[in-house]
Amino acid sequence: MPEHITIEIDGTKVQAEAGTNVLQAAMDAGVYVPYLCYYPGMKSFGACRMCVVEIDGPRGTETAASCTVPVGPDMVVRTRTDDVQDLRRNIMDLLISEHPHGCLNCHRVDLCGPQDICLRHVGVNDRCVTCPKNERCELKDTVRWLEMELDTELTYNNRHLPQQVNDPFWDMDLNLCIVCGRCVRACDEIRGDNALAFVDRGGKGLIGTSIGTSLLESGCEFCGACIDVCPTGALVERDHKWDKAVTTYQSTCNNCAVGCQVKLEVDKRNQLIRTIGDLHGAPNQGQLCVKGKFGLEYVNDKRRLRTPLIRRGEDLEETTLTSALDFAAAELAKYRGEGFALIASPRHANEDLYIAQKFSRVVMESNNVDVSSNLRPELFPALGEMLGYPAATNTIWDLELAKSFLVVSSNMTEEQNVTAIPIKKALKTGAKLLVIDQRETELTRYADLWLRPRPGTETALIGGMLRVIVDESLDDHEFLSKGVNGVTDFKNSLWEFDLMQVEQITSISREQIQQAARIFVENGPGAILYGLETVEPVDRDACVRSLIDLAIITGSVAKQAAGTGLYPLYAGANEQGARDMGCVPSHLPGHSLVNEESAIDRFNREWATVLPSNPGVGVREITEKITSGQIEAMFLLGNSENFKNGTMGEFIDALGDLKFLVVADTFASEITEVADVVLPAATFAEEQGTFTNMERRVQLTQRAITAKGEEDSAWRILGQIARRIGVNGFDHPNSEDVFEEIRGMVALYGGITHERLAKGGVQWPCPAIDTSESSAPHTEGSQDKLSLTPIEFPEPQGEIDPSSEYPLTLAHGRVLREPDRKMEIDLVDKRNIIVREEILEVHPEDALVLGLSVGDVIDVVSERERIRGVVDTTSPLKGVVSTTTLFGSRLLDINQGATPDPMIEFGALPLIPVRIEKVAAQPIEAAAD
Amino acid sequence: MLCFVKNFAIPGARDLTVANEDLRDRIRQAIKRQERPTVTVLSSLLATQDEFGYIPREAIEEIAVYTGASTNDVWGVASFYKNFQFTEPNEHVIEICWGPSCHIMGAPEIIEEAAEVLGIEGEGDSVDGKGTLRYNTCLGACARAPVISIDHQLYGRMTAKKAVEKIKSL
Ligand code: SF4
Ligand code: SF4
Ligand code: SF4
Ligand code: FES
Ligand code: FES
Repeated sequence: MPEHITIEIDGTKVQAEAGTNVLQAAMDAGVYVPYLCYYPGMKSFGACRMCVVEIDGPRGTETAASCTVPVGPDMVVRTRTDDVQDLRRNIMDLLISEHPHGCLNCHRVDLCGPQDICLRHVGVNDRCVTCPKNERCELKDTVRWLEMELDTELTYNNRHLPQQVNDPFWDMDLNLCIVCGRCVRACDEIRGDNALAFVDRGGKGLIGTSIGTSLLESGCEFCGACIDVCPTGALVERDHKWDKAVTTYQSTCNNCAVGCQVKLEVDKRNQLIRTIGDLHGAPNQGQLCVKGKFGLEYVNDKRRLRTPLIRRGEDLEETTLTSALDFAAAELAKYRGEGFALIASPRHANEDLYIAQKFSRVVMESNNVDVSSNLRPELFPALGEMLGYPAATNTIWDLELAKSFLVVSSNMTEEQNVTAIPIKKALKTGAKLLVIDQRETELTRYADLWLRPRPGTETALIGGMLRVIVDESLDDHEFLSKGVNGVTDFKNSLWEFDLMQVEQITSISREQIQQAARIFVENGPGAILYGLETVEPVDRDACVRSLIDLAIITGSVAKQAAGTGLYPLYAGANEQGARDMGCVPSHLPGHSLVNEESAIDRFNREWATVLPSNPGVGVREITEKITSGQIEAMFLLGNSENFKNGTMGEFIDALGDLKFLVVADTFASEITEVADVVLPAATFAEEQGTFTNMERRVQLTQRAITAKGEEDSAWRILGQIARRIGVNGFDHPNSEDVFEEIRGMVALYGGITHERLAKGGVQWPCPAIDTSESSAPHTEGSQDKLSLTPIEFPEPQGEIDPSSEYPLTLAHGRVLREPDRKMEIDLVDKRNIIVREEILEVHPEDALVLGLSVGDVIDVVSERERIRGVVDTTSPLKGVVSTTTLFGSRLLDINQGATPDPMIEFGALPLIPVRIEKVAAQPIEAAAD
Repeated sequence: MLCFVKNFAIPGARDLTVANEDLRDRIRQAIKRQERPTVTVLSSLLATQDEFGYIPREAIEEIAVYTGASTNDVWGVASFYKNFQFTEPNEHVIEICWGPSCHIMGAPEIIEEAAEVLGIEGEGDSVDGKGTLRYNTCLGACARAPVISIDHQLYGRMTAKKAVEKIKSL
């Protein structure tokens, strides 16, 4: 508990947290002091002077900006004296002399309704009604609160700056800026991006980007943090710019596994108009990323499916919900057994996923049930076996306190964006970062050591680090001696890891391996985050085990302390929930294996059924099983980029081989085109539900908008079909009731109730109503559930086979900016675009074999794509072509694409097999240098 | 989906990168040459301005790379100081001090006539590419006010007439 001191504010004694400032202390005590530049969670800045108060303190009585004065013992603060209020009004007078203030000091302001347009008193451009932030503007609120005299002697000095509206997603009107600096500081202090800066000085001083160019090249990640903190209309979201919210709902972003807490603003036309990060949200502390801030517009899209469709010959025809459900039920009943499979999207709530697996197992008698993002299932099981629970050990914001990090093959800043925020914060205060990845990502920019092992040799590299730790006796002896299982076998297995050999197969030098091990341990114990996005499926399990070994022997899972532990970085938003709900082919709800006798007995009893005990088919094998005819009927809940990007093979083509396909989705797509029945699906904004995030935190979504057609949530659709097939146990009246059943079946969720959830997310394990949540369950109680696994020295990779069609590997990275590379911003159709030449880095030896020299223009061709660029012979890895493109370019593709729900297309950056085709030799004039 | 960015790598378009490599090399060297233990954004800006007489856009980028600051922050610093220029100056740079001492001793007249002979209104570049006129707040030689400097060479006890002659003889 932080220390408290007593101070007096306006005659009342209050407790203030030591170290906080007077303004925050007043706010905490419920006393309003106007402020425009301060923002909770950011350092004080002292720019606006609006927060002046009178203080009797160590320096006598002074009038000071309360945000800059730390609380001290026996301080007496007066916030409302006449002098102070006058001072504030004077300051405000100066402030609004550079802000359009027609409506701010109009004497008719009380007569004029908030959204009326007055035809006389003020020029159009000086009115608040033309400002997108009208009625949610902190400046205006402050003016009103101050009860200003409604005349100012100062004339308004319009800056006459052009609006900046060419970048994706957000607009900037610096005529409205009061230079409070919140945006600049949010971007720097919180996001670590520095995409905005103060520019010029004195009267001309404003905020802006380098040389006034586009955000696309300033390194902006379009997280919208700056918009959320801007007190005026200077920075706003472009979509629904002028729309006004009538209701705000607390909810959870379902675009990734962070599960950011959001406030959804809904207008009177039943549209979701804005998402704002919730400052009190445990996983995100007010932050969001582009996917959550600007990527939820799909719920309003005109192209949403609203009516059920049914196949009649070649065409899909509109039909009633009843007949669609009748038809689906009658047909599905013919395919009960292992010929049926269900794939849900990880954007579904726990309730949907629970009912989906129950439907598949109980109604359809098949364990073939999975979520479409589950392409890296190996990230979890070893955690369960070696540590007790198949989930991350600690919480996201624990990372802020870590002293060292190891990030293995994860493009976290794009995939689980907000997780990187506490990491970047920790790095600012001296924590160390190791990154193992072939691709250059935003995080490699922050790395103290970035290791790029030859593809497929990650485990060998980690084994090498483990060997160094044991050899140099850097392991946590005390912890290991307290009864961790398998220490001797594990240590013996390390003899295989001769550093010379490790160096040879990984192409990482011995010195670097030693350095990596030392950085991690000597600053640690640290946190380990792994995505294994570029690791081959066959290697992943071993890789995860080696990382858990690393966490155990360094004591990273020994300490309950924040800043340690293991975090699997998986792709789907509710993939953890899917695992907990048993919406995977191998496990029942609560993580029991589908062939575990005692579990089967229990579920048979509770569900009054006879469960199939053969492990089912998951997304990784499904395409093959459809093509071979083993799967004949399917239910798809939601679309996925994985259906068409090749990671599931030619899945879309295979769907044509099915005898019967039901799709419940929000938009028409390739998958609805081949379906026999299409049911319109509700989104997360239209139904209450729970999501479990990557830190095991169960959080609520709320019904924020109402259905406009027949769209409904998956659990209700499936329940209706189950009833039609004649199976009991699907009669839940509402989503809370489904959750009640989940609580009963999944012990880890036993104590989580909607009542608790309404106050904020609850982490599992939480077995009973009276248990408090546990933030680090893996290390509580006895240690003997922890066990080390011996690791095997991996087979060295074969030489590249030049005769294969795609003999090389492309390591495609993405970063926010590359200031050392020339790029230009062009205006096309009133929108900024990036013009830049991509560089393809080839290893010098490969270049020699392929007859390439620096400056040649080549195409790198994969099965699906073709990328053109200029050769540079700087790839550090033989057989690997690397390239680094800009986040801004990807964002433009997504922003300008035609798909209504673009954020699901963001896509991972796997290593892909490619070949090189030469387009042109280097231009002659360039050959000279 | 792995989607490749629009890219414009067609033969001929290549000078996008190559053409300013020389410039960038010179900038990098100017930054590296600084013989001080505390190389900062500011000192690097000064080094660049010394080398080129102005700060090219590429220098903002190179300084960002070198110091680990963002281009926006470098620009924030650069745009704060009036003495940094962002366009290439003309052949000769004439600075006229308008600090208090020089002001009392006759700077306004010098400014007026110097601008006239250069064919400009105040600070700025002459059309013929010969001269760039800048004001300076104090050239640090108040004892010899009024002072002007031409290409960093100081001239004290100026009169409007002498200044015009000097400019004409450039
Ligand atoms: S959107 Fe985010 S990254 Fe971009 S300028 Fe604003 S705070 Fe910075
Ligand atoms: S743009 Fe908004 S947040 Fe940024 S300085 Fe101006 S008023 Fe403040
Ligand atoms: S980090 Fe994830 S949960 Fe948070 S806003 Fe982005 S996509 Fe949504
Ligand atoms: S809030 Fe204290 S000076 Fe702005
Ligand atoms: S005022 Fe001109 S040199 Fe000092």
